[in-house]
Amino acid sequence: MATTKVPEVRDITRIERIGAHSHIRGLGLDDALEPRQVSQGMVGQLASRRAAGIILEMIKDGHIAGRAVLIAGQPGTGKTAIAMGIAQSLGPDTPFTALAGSEIFSLEMSKTEALSQAFRKAIGVRIKEETEIIEGEVVEIQIDRPATGTGAKVGKLTLKTTEMETIYDLGNKMIESLSKEKVQAGDVITIDKATGKISKLGRSFTRARDYDAMGAQTQFVQCPEGELQKRKEVVHTVSLHEIDVINSRTQGFLALFSGDTGEIKSEVREQINAKVCEWREEGKAEIIPGVLFIDEVHMLDMECFSFLNRALESDLSPVLIMATNRGITRIRGTNYQSPHGIPIDLLDRLLIIATSPYTEKETRQILKIRCEEEDVELSEEAHTVLTRIGMETSLRYAIQLISTAGLVCRKRKGTEVQVEDIKRVYSLFLDEARSSQYMKEYQDSFLFNETQTAVMDTS
Amino acid sequence: MDAGSQRVLDYLTEVEEAAEEVITTKQQIVDLDLKRNRNREALNALKHELSDSENVKVCFGNMFIEFDKSKTKGMVQKDQEQLDKEINNLRRELKTKFNHLNEIQGKPELRGYRLSALSSEEIKSINSLLKT
Repeated sequence: MATTKVPEVRDITRIERIGAHSHIRGLGLDDALEPRQVSQGMVGQLASRRAAGIILEMIKDGHIAGRAVLIAGQPGTGKTAIAMGIAQSLGPDTPFTALAGSEIFSLEMSKTEALSQAFRKAIGVRIKEETEIIEGEVVEIQIDRPATGTGAKVGKLTLKTTEMETIYDLGNKMIESLSKEKVQAGDVITIDKATGKISKLGRSFTRARDYDAMGAQTQFVQCPEGELQKRKEVVHTVSLHEIDVINSRTQGFLALFSGDTGEIKSEVREQINAKVCEWREEGKAEIIPGVLFIDEVHMLDMECFSFLNRALESDLSPVLIMATNRGITRIRGTNYQSPHGIPIDLLDRLLIIATSPYTEKETRQILKIRCEEEDVELSEEAHTVLTRIGMETSLRYAIQLISTAGLVCRKRKGTEVQVEDIKRVYSLFLDEARSSQYMKEYQDSFLFNETQTAVMDTS
Repeated sequence: MDAGSQRVLDYLTEVEEAAEEVITTKQQIVDLDLKRNRNREALNALKHELSDSENVKVCFGNMFIEFDKSKTKGMVQKDQEQLDKEINNLRRELKTKFNHLNEIQGKPELRGYRLSALSSEEIKSINSLLKT
């Protein structure tokens, strides 16, 4: 059986932030977790992909909840791509939350609050709802209005399935809701037994010929099969954060839609943890530890790191995946140097996956995949030139050139991007190295040029 | 027949038997629901369409027997309760049988299959989440 299933519906939240990785559909591993050279949008990075695959299996089995993984490597070596690949292979049922390290700095919310919200978004709770419904096709509705005009109406409703047909006596309330829903003979309806709520599923196919003129929204459905009174079970997956929000009394559930959730009291969280644990013990809920992905993790400061240390130890904790492109650098908020800009004590808890720069052949492959993704046809020579550019400058720059060259090509009404198009955009847009070169040559004519020796502080 | 094809045959028989069981249970539920609906119609008729003093004729097999109305009502109601209980039992059985069928076919278990449902109040408290 294939373990790497491609999810058919791509969840919006999964691809929101990184359009540059829209071609990634999985980790590109075979059943034995061996990475294929080119598969599911992934190219090269075999060792790190295999490592990610092992972690993925452990997440799926629920083995490593409350652990953390660090993906480290130079810029443009596919760190985010690997994280996206993990997200895609987890499937739509496992919660995956992605955020960039700098997203947690906001005036409205403290850093730790933003982090704990992100943590709780990454934990799913699976629950089941069970309802008794009556489902059938309306054969006939008969409503008797009292002669005086006032007083209780009575009526009869005949429903059928493929197997049976029966008559229900209607009270005043049911008659009202039936007329409110404009139910007529030939409609397929469901009635919720507990609440009496009526919903129309559509019109029966057998009545398709009743009228010639139909609204566009009329939907035809089959006459229901089996028994009339059915039991419907629906399994929902919600995140702990969503439950927090609707129970955070000051905000009410509307906060979920307006997006501004504010801070949630820790007492609310504790209550919810207790309730969810109680449900789990009663067999009413399953807890699915998801994945929290923090990109650019070196942007977090010392307080956040110590919060992470603690949060990872709580029993409701997701798998934390972090990515960084820093080497030995200052930890933000301190004067201490540390590998990856992460304190040693946290680093000690991490499983570290390293990515290495792409070879020429791999660069070529990636550019080809991106061309397909962006719908740009590339001639063989142009492809070679672009690969050279990718090797000499950076992969990201080369990828940028694809769509711009595609535009230039379309402007001259060509079908395939030629070397000239690439040359043209190469002269139009500077890469990072040429731009710095330009700066060095002409810095005297720029404003504020006295900061010649200062090194930009990026941490 | 060699051992291999015999094994395949055995396996297929097992799957077919399990599937057959699922289908029969389903049909049983349908039959019982049909009966339940008939009883419900009868109860409604007894409530609305006859005066209290009248006796009613009840059909047993192929014989009609005249009965006291309240007694009939009690009988039908008891029958109804019995039916409800039986349908519930069958549904529970159906779940285990279906699970068994899935298992021997090598299909993964459905998500949240073994969960028991939340009570209606619990559902109500998080209802706004589920609608979106």
